[in-house]
Amino acid sequence: MLETLHDPSSSPTGGPRLAATARGLTRTYGRGDNAVHALRGVDLDLPAGRFTAVMGASGSGKSTLMHCLAGLDQPTYGTVTVAGTELQSLDDTRLTVFRREHLGFVFQSFNLLPMLTARQNVLLPLELAGRRLDGETRERFDRVVAVLGLADRLDHRPGELSGGQQQRVAIARALVTRPALVFADEPTGNLDSRSSAEVLGFLRRSVRELGQTVVMVTHELEAASYADDVVVISDGRVRAHLVGPTPDAVLAALRGQEIGA
Amino acid sequence: MRTVLLASLRTHTRRYVAAALAVAIGVAFVVTTGILSSATKDGMVSSVGVPYENADLVVSGLDGDQAAAVVERARERGDHASVLGWSLLPLAEDGRRVSDRVEVGALADGEALRWQELRDGTFPGQAGEAVADVNAAKSLGLEVGDRLQVGTGARAADVTLVGLVDTPSASVAADLYLPWDAVAPIARTLYVDSIAYDVAGPADPQVRPLERFSGATVQAADQFVVDRQAEITKDVDIVAIVLLVFATIALFVAVLVIANTFSILFAQRARDFALLRCVGATRRQVLRSVRIEGLVLGLVAAATGVLAGTGTGHLLVAVARDRFDEGTIGEPSPSAGWYLGGLLLGVVATVAASWFPTRRVVAVGPLEALQPAGAVDPRTPAGVVRLAAGVLVLVAGVAALVLAMADHEVPPMLAGGAATFTGVLLLGPVLVPPLVRLAGLVSGRLLGSPGRLAAANAVRNPRRTAATTASLLVGVTLTTAVLTGMATSRTAVDDEMDQSHPVDLTLTSTGAELPATLLDDVLATDGVRAAAALPGTTARVSGIGEVQLLAADRAAVDDVVHGEPAIVVPGPDQVLVPWDSLGAGQAGGDQVRVTVDGTARTLTLRGGDGWGSAAVVAPETLTALTGGAATGTRSVWVQAEDGADPEDLGGDLDALGAPAGAELANGLGERAWVYLQLDVLTASVVALLGIAVVIALIGIGNTLGLSVLERGREHALLRALGLTRRQLRSLLGAEAVLLSVTATLLGTALGIAYAWVGVRTMVEPAVEAATLQLPVPQLVVVVLVAAVAGLLACVLPARRAARTAPAAGLALE
Repeated sequence: MLETLHDPSSSPTGGPRLAATARGLTRTYGRGDNAVHALRGVDLDLPAGRFTAVMGASGSGKSTLMHCLAGLDQPTYGTVTVAGTELQSLDDTRLTVFRREHLGFVFQSFNLLPMLTARQNVLLPLELAGRRLDGETRERFDRVVAVLGLADRLDHRPGELSGGQQQRVAIARALVTRPALVFADEPTGNLDSRSSAEVLGFLRRSVRELGQTVVMVTHELEAASYADDVVVISDGRVRAHLVGPTPDAVLAALRGQEIGA
Repeated sequence: MRTVLLASLRTHTRRYVAAALAVAIGVAFVVTTGILSSATKDGMVSSVGVPYENADLVVSGLDGDQAAAVVERARERGDHASVLGWSLLPLAEDGRRVSDRVEVGALADGEALRWQELRDGTFPGQAGEAVADVNAAKSLGLEVGDRLQVGTGARAADVTLVGLVDTPSASVAADLYLPWDAVAPIARTLYVDSIAYDVAGPADPQVRPLERFSGATVQAADQFVVDRQAEITKDVDIVAIVLLVFATIALFVAVLVIANTFSILFAQRARDFALLRCVGATRRQVLRSVRIEGLVLGLVAAATGVLAGTGTGHLLVAVARDRFDEGTIGEPSPSAGWYLGGLLLGVVATVAASWFPTRRVVAVGPLEALQPAGAVDPRTPAGVVRLAAGVLVLVAGVAALVLAMADHEVPPMLAGGAATFTGVLLLGPVLVPPLVRLAGLVSGRLLGSPGRLAAANAVRNPRRTAATTASLLVGVTLTTAVLTGMATSRTAVDDEMDQSHPVDLTLTSTGAELPATLLDDVLATDGVRAAAALPGTTARVSGIGEVQLLAADRAAVDDVVHGEPAIVVPGPDQVLVPWDSLGAGQAGGDQVRVTVDGTARTLTLRGGDGWGSAAVVAPETLTALTGGAATGTRSVWVQAEDGADPEDLGGDLDALGAPAGAELANGLGERAWVYLQLDVLTASVVALLGIAVVIALIGIGNTLGLSVLERGREHALLRALGLTRRQLRSLLGAEAVLLSVTATLLGTALGIAYAWVGVRTMVEPAVEAATLQLPVPQLVVVVLVAAVAGLLACVLPARRAARTAPAAGLALE
């Protein structure tokens, strides 16, 4: 058993507002001998207003954890509560509506609909929800666009944007609805180092300046260094939940997990 | 969702073009049918009354002899009667044969019943004068002043063309009009449509007596016209319905094409849909969006089809009006129902075709957007339910077909045919790929690795392969069935032709002995396979009058007669007389006296056809009649070589016979005319089915084009690994040809099977020895056309694929 710096089941900051909690989260694919245990009873609290990185080697279960937290995948056992709502109690339509009202997504690739302009992509969640572009949302849109530096790119289609710009559009889309939680799945996986730094910088700014909560899945130490907190996953279990760690501490936690595994 | 919908429509418009084209063609077909049928109705219905305008009564349902009697009676009573009908007779100008069959009709005596409108010259003032229809004169090359010979033999009439007329009513129109007195002698050969009857006094009291006298139907003229209009409307409607059946087939194929297009496009857009679901689109929103997309496509395609159909219809009407009498084609004025119906059909077909593919769209979960690119597998294996249903329907269909053949019943045949075909379509995903793989062995041998790759690509998605080939299968199966069925019924027609036209051509004397050299001259003519000279003399037959009497020796004519020679070789107590020479009241089996120079015999009358106007007896009968005196040649009977042109051969023989005063009977021409009708019928059906085949080929090109987009990365990889541009093109060409040829071969097999069932069910009860005839050359042409068309269908996709640079393709997201 590896050494943990914190008790993974307790809140690291001693009881602030929680954006999401998971209890006894278990996800098993297949059955019998072929069963793959992606998550083996994860308990996790994600505090609001912080930038949390979920780290782990590939196959560690970090993506499955994120999918379950985001209501994109149903856990085999256990519960997920986001913004005070227990996701397992929702049917597909209500879950979809919940997602578009309370969650934002940034993916590794294929983030944008190719036939829509950047502006249309950003406004898509609002449109799907049937919300009108009133003063408040317009203000929000302008703010987000300004923060992400997209003002002069709004009428371009994804095909006419660089990888970094596309990711920024995706971030803008994730933020425009003021979600309780933004999930980013390897957002820099397809980017060069300069664009990566830029995208990660924007994600951090969205937490600092817009007060958002961001959960980012990554396997890059460099990316994780932008985060406030780091959750280390291996073998379907949370091995560590580090608050404001130094890169060395994260590295130690990852190494420990490797040794342990 | 509106932004997404509009953007999708804008972005994917190009990919929908082929599907829209398929629907548009089907809709255009429907609208064109509506325009043509309305124009035909307008032309024929409105002009039906013209010949009866000044008549009180109309007598119908009678033959030429009865018609002659009615005219005779009218003259005696001071009434007027105009016979509306025609006889098909040969026409010559100054000894030159103009046509073998010209419609010769009668002109009314009085001005009142004369419904033709004079365009040039005058109406005939005396016997020996005639007028011709303007259009007929144009196509036959006749002018006012020409001296014409109508008919052949004893009853040939010499007339001078004195005028040209318009015939504003199609149903009783003829090419050439003679005064009744010139027509009366050949009244027996007339096909009589009706008689317009103008009573001198009040008409009503005349109805009963006229009925009793003629034994035919007598109606008030107004009533007759109303009835006739209803009849024509019904006939036109039937033709329109037949056309609509073909339009339905075309639309069905279009549905297959669109359904396939949607399936492929949605498979390619699965990630778009998943992403939409991720950012908060509900299943309903996504479903509604793609359904509206289908609806918009349907509306645009159907509207295009309506416009194209309107254009085509008016164009065809304009062409037809230019070529036919105004009585045939009038103003097109289709009811709004045709346009609305066409529009609705197109929209419904499109939406229906998109229904199942769109249902699959919502099965896409949001998670799929998060999978790495390329992990979304567009494979769609055939469902178990589908296969089970396929087997069930197929078995039930075969049972119905067996039942149909046993009972010779058509309804179970149609039901069984539809069921078995549906079964084959359902089983397509397991049936077609093995066939394509089999064909792929050939392509692999011919083209090497591109050929093998093509076969592998073609079967990579069994459902898509099956759907693509299904559309072509429909057209090819029907075409093959029609061609084979027609070829088979043609042999039945052959037998009948042998009965009614036992001799191809005859040159028969009109009074004098024919020169002894004529037989050799005839034998030396191009296109003559065999000829026989028949001895004979001039005789009188009671009730008929003077005829040429020939002696047919079984051994002599055996060589020139089609089928059984007994048809033209009478027994010793019989005399064979052409049906249309029989005197009034005479019938087969009557006893008649045949007299030659005072020697008489009583013989049994037998009617027949196909050797001209002479009477025929057995050689011993002739010897007995002539007292053993030598008899010279009176007729030469000819059998033509296969493929000889009836008009040319007839002309050549006519030129040989004319100086000797011999008249020509051209059975070969009659035969050719009947075959021409069959060929025209076959060609029309094939052309109508061709529209469905064209749609199917658009579908094949479309599937390939869409697959090419999907396989951009693969093609780039292949190019990077050393496949040349040319090889890449041949790869796609081979795939297209594999698909089209497999569909064609399967369709040909099915079509032959259906034709066989059809022959067993429908032809066998009528013609006992009906055996299936395979029109092999035509079927080979069908396969070749499909292969070439398949190649054409891949031209655009292949060009696009070959343009992709190796590196660019690999960078594609």
